[in-house]
Amino acid sequence: MIKRVKELGANALIASDKFRNYVERFESEINRGISTLCILSIIQDAGDAGIHGYAILKVLEEKTNEMLVIEEGTLYPVLRKLEGNGILKSNKKKVDGRERKVYSLTENGKKINNHLAGFYSKLTEAISPLLDISVHLQDRFLYCPNCANKIDLMEKESQFCEICGLNIQELRDRRLNEK
Amino acid sequence: MSQKEIEKMVKEYIKKVKEKLPDWLKNKKSELKDTLSEIEEHLWDKSEELSGIGAATEDSVRMAIAHMGTPQSIAKEYKKRGTPKVYITEELWPLYTKVLGILCAVIIVINVVAIILNLIFGSWENIEMSGLLLGIAGVFTIVTIIFVALSMEGYLPEDFKSEADRKREHKELEKAEQKGWSISKKSGKPLKPFMSPTGMIIGGIVQMAMGLVFIMLPNIGIISITSLMNPKFILILSLFGVFILMEGTIDLVRGVVGKQQITANQVLMTIKIAISLASISLIAFVMNNPGIISIIYWTEETGLNVLEISKSVQELISMGLAWIIFFVIIGAVFDLGKAISLNKYKNVN
Repeated sequence: MIKRVKELGANALIASDKFRNYVERFESEINRGISTLCILSIIQDAGDAGIHGYAILKVLEEKTNEMLVIEEGTLYPVLRKLEGNGILKSNKKKVDGRERKVYSLTENGKKINNHLAGFYSKLTEAISPLLDISVHLQDRFLYCPNCANKIDLMEKESQFCEICGLNIQELRDRRLNEK
Repeated sequence: MSQKEIEKMVKEYIKKVKEKLPDWLKNKKSELKDTLSEIEEHLWDKSEELSGIGAATEDSVRMAIAHMGTPQSIAKEYKKRGTPKVYITEELWPLYTKVLGILCAVIIVINVVAIILNLIFGSWENIEMSGLLLGIAGVFTIVTIIFVALSMEGYLPEDFKSEADRKREHKELEKAEQKGWSISKKSGKPLKPFMSPTGMIIGGIVQMAMGLVFIMLPNIGIISITSLMNPKFILILSLFGVFILMEGTIDLVRGVVGKQQITANQVLMTIKIAISLASISLIAFVMNNPGIISIIYWTEETGLNVLEISKSVQELISMGLAWIIFFVIIGAVFDLGKAISLNKYKNVN
């Protein structure tokens, strides 16, 4: 995110509209998918109790140190779209004395979120040498070798990956023995 | 600024947002109400937080509105629906081609009728094709502009359905899930099974038995009925038996193959169509030689007799057989369409 400064250096690249537009467009493209992923993770953390739109933004700001900022007006269309796709469900609830629409993940939404989170984690790990960053994936999770679905080793035991159906029993046993 | 004025400021902003929202959302009253109240709640939360005193102030409301963005920018997000595909979204594309196809067909039919009427009541010189071309070009332009506009507004095909339609489709999907029917990947609609394997096997066996009886006719000449019939007619009936037997066998095989093997079913259906078309040659033969038809009747005094068929009745029979040929052809075209339509069962969930 390029933060606007009052006095730009004469040679600063962002002084050029062309460059600025290019970078902003690129950043917005990267942000779009990541924002949705973060929104889903925040809603997943809220569990079945659900969370309302404003609280989602607050958690996002806090957890990302205000690095990932979603324009407030764009959050609700995104939530609506996710609800329409059957990933989220909503209900009305009284929170802090006000009637609010709270969102939680559907059963399919939970699976899709695990898969997307797994895919993104593995992708970030894979590209980390290119970006000179180090990524450490937590031992608690197993990533399906076929589809990168994120599987919590502590949660209910399943012989197959919920997303692609790969038999992960052997891999799960090996990982649990290593621990 | 009083609390009332602050509230008025928020209400005015919400009103502007409502004005800018796309029509598909405005048409869904409860969704629209939910959307606007959600934005309003957000504004109050934000302004209370920004004020630092736990209550909204004029400045904090202004800042909250600024954070929320312009009504246009909010509306723009609601219009971002559908997957882009050459200016018309992928979701609207099938509806676009369907509407275009129907309107073009109507224009073609109108023009063909006009040409025929001109041929009957006018002359060759009056026939013009420019009307047809202009009509198609006009329809193409208007329909395309409408669908590009609908895509830009974020319309999806479901927005054109009434609440009752949506409920009915939902019920159908639930029924399909219960019964284990396939769901079309393209349309998302449930597909009823195109055949019952058991019914097909039973039907096939019955047909085969019937075919065998017809085939055996020349060999059961000891029975007085067949011995009285014209040998050519018996031969034709026996050849019909071959066709009936083949069709029955195909139905039996289809039943055994089952409804999961779509291509195999299509191939078998095509073979059956070819057989029914081939049987036309036999019908045509009888149609041209109605004299060979032997109708047997029985009386107490004389026993079994062959009915003499008069010329006029023979003509009537020929005409009836011509109609049968016509219906066999129509049936074959219909069956071919059915075989092609099985393609939708290949792309299912």
